[in-house]
Amino acid sequence: MIHSNINFVEKYRALAYQDILGQDKAIEEVRQFLREFPKKKALILYGPAGTGKTSLALAAAHENNLEIMELNSSDLRNRAKLEVVLKPAAEQMSLFKRGKIIIMDEVDGVTGTDIGGIPELLRVLEVTKHPLIMTCNDVWQSKLAPVRKICKLVEMRALPLQTIQKLIERVAQQEGIIRDARFYQQLAIKSQGDLRAALNDLHSYAHVESLPVDTHEKRDVDENIFNILRVLFKERQDFLSLFDNTQLSLDEILLWIEENIPREYKNESLAKAYQALGKADVFRGRIYKKQSWRFLLYQNIFQSAGISYAKTSPLPGFTKYEAPKRILKIWMNNQRIEKKKTIAKKYAHLVHCSTRRALNDFPLLKLILKNEAIKKQMKLSEEEVQYLAQ
Amino acid sequence: MSQSDIWTEKYRPGKFEEVVGQHEIIKRVSSLVQALNIPHMMFAGPAGTGKSTLALVVVKALFGEKWKDNYLELNASDERGIDVVRQKVKDFARTKALENIPFKVIFLDEADALTREAQQALRRTMENYTHTCRFILSCNYSSNIIDPIQSRCVVFRFRLLEKKDIVEIVKRISEREKLKLTPDAAETLYEVSEGDCRRAINLIQATASISPDINSEMINMIAASAKPAGVRVVLDYALAGDFINARDKLLEVMLKDSISGTDLIKIIQKEIWNLQIEPEIKVRLTEKTGEAEFRMTEGSDEFVQLQALLASFVLAGQGKST
Repeated sequence: MIHSNINFVEKYRALAYQDILGQDKAIEEVRQFLREFPKKKALILYGPAGTGKTSLALAAAHENNLEIMELNSSDLRNRAKLEVVLKPAAEQMSLFKRGKIIIMDEVDGVTGTDIGGIPELLRVLEVTKHPLIMTCNDVWQSKLAPVRKICKLVEMRALPLQTIQKLIERVAQQEGIIRDARFYQQLAIKSQGDLRAALNDLHSYAHVESLPVDTHEKRDVDENIFNILRVLFKERQDFLSLFDNTQLSLDEILLWIEENIPREYKNESLAKAYQALGKADVFRGRIYKKQSWRFLLYQNIFQSAGISYAKTSPLPGFTKYEAPKRILKIWMNNQRIEKKKTIAKKYAHLVHCSTRRALNDFPLLKLILKNEAIKKQMKLSEEEVQYLAQ
Repeated sequence: MSQSDIWTEKYRPGKFEEVVGQHEIIKRVSSLVQALNIPHMMFAGPAGTGKSTLALVVVKALFGEKWKDNYLELNASDERGIDVVRQKVKDFARTKALENIPFKVIFLDEADALTREAQQALRRTMENYTHTCRFILSCNYSSNIIDPIQSRCVVFRFRLLEKKDIVEIVKRISEREKLKLTPDAAETLYEVSEGDCRRAINLIQATASISPDINSEMINMIAASAKPAGVRVVLDYALAGDFINARDKLLEVMLKDSISGTDLIKIIQKEIWNLQIEPEIKVRLTEKTGEAEFRMTEGSDEFVQLQALLASFVLAGQGKST
């Protein structure tokens, strides 16, 4: 039973490199960074949420017996504060331990309002006597360009489904939670590579017998979408405020409409509806490309009135709508063909072509890669060899 | 020639004299290299016509044994964004090149995979490092590259290899690998590879992995098995009015063979002419296909656009068009 009020994420946080799964390359890079310090003074761990960025930084400190100076996103964001807190920390020697390590979470949270935060950070990086590890989700935004230049960059990828499943099963075992494999698999799928999310879900769903994990969670969250679809598909009118009653974004609604058009419309109205949806999507693309949010209006009209007027008269009857499936399908497929991708990448590197081309040629490669000498030259891992043997 | 057991590498030409086809280009580029100074260059042309090979030949001729230290190969479609490209270029350009050649060479493959904005950034990068680096860009169509970059490059247009070129390459390989080809096999290789040398060599190696005695039939069989199957089934479902099955099958085909929407739509475009429908409707469908392909290149969602296209096929199946 869970009595402790510490959440699983903190309770089972990895303290050593060996506890961090699926990130061997990143671990090796961090090791090298600390070995070579002060060749580079700082390192940025970047990647999606819940991939172990903070854990890796903390593990690095523990493994090397370093005192941790931890700065959270909320602690310091502007110049004055950075100067007071970070600079002395960076310059002073540690009192008790062999050395010190400064860990700064979520540097991409330093926003425009934190005036002078980035320049001050740069100044600190110049004088620091201790290694500094930063974490962030998106390292490629322009405001981080000057920081990027002087830091070692280490990517952490979303964890594979199997790794997440293995980890939460292990935690569940230690917590005395007994559920079937399917339960853990569903949690892993739902997490989309985010271990923190998976652990939090495990915590909250652990003893809820009657509430199986729904991999299309949106269904519970938002009943409104079904009413919206009903009005949209059954009636014929314009409704600019139709989508106001839902928490879903216009893009998510687009997926719901995409999924359900063929359940309502046939022939001409089917074609017309998809034409309208295609146009809504064109405007969606323009919004992203040009960042012109005015086009949202056009997207909205095409995916509301455009869909509604695709038919000539109101439709009777009841239709069972379904949640969009393709994003999940694509994601699961990506997990499944992970090995195929890594093989293609290794091959592409050897033969001077793009990974995409190698993926396109994969059926031929499978035959060519039967050759043991080539497998050896490509340094394929055991899993990759297994994948080819399938 | 290198030691690799992958034939596209093993038989990749290392010198200008060994390159088959593209005679005019070879002549011009080799004279530039002899002067030990090259301009920025752009190699435009279809896949498998020797663009990467020629870039490698150039750096080997310039730098000899030390070519690896002075050559950076990047693939725009594999790198994540222009910032990554710039960072790598910067790191590479930091150290000096050899004594007698004052520059290094950067080969940016598939440069047309970069957006226009990214190309603008690339142009600035090219300018910043012009003293220490020469760029060789490759692309399928030079029209996808912004003018300011084109005007900074000498553009070379590569053509698909001719039948005699492919036949010659096939002959070379089969002699060295002790393969027995029937007389028509080389021609068949040319036909199914459509002048794409990488594909031709991969095909012959894949076929040879089954048997050293190779005939046309085997090549055709292997080529067919390597093609994404099922597109015709998707279209047949749509023509029969079964949109939901057409759509499910479509996603399945795309995921199974990891084909992008832009590659899939090319197959659809070819397949239209094999369908049993009125020629007039074929023309209308082709227009729809072209529009969908264009939208994809502009950043629309591939699957939404493909579904819109499938809906047009449903109408076509009833002899109607929109």
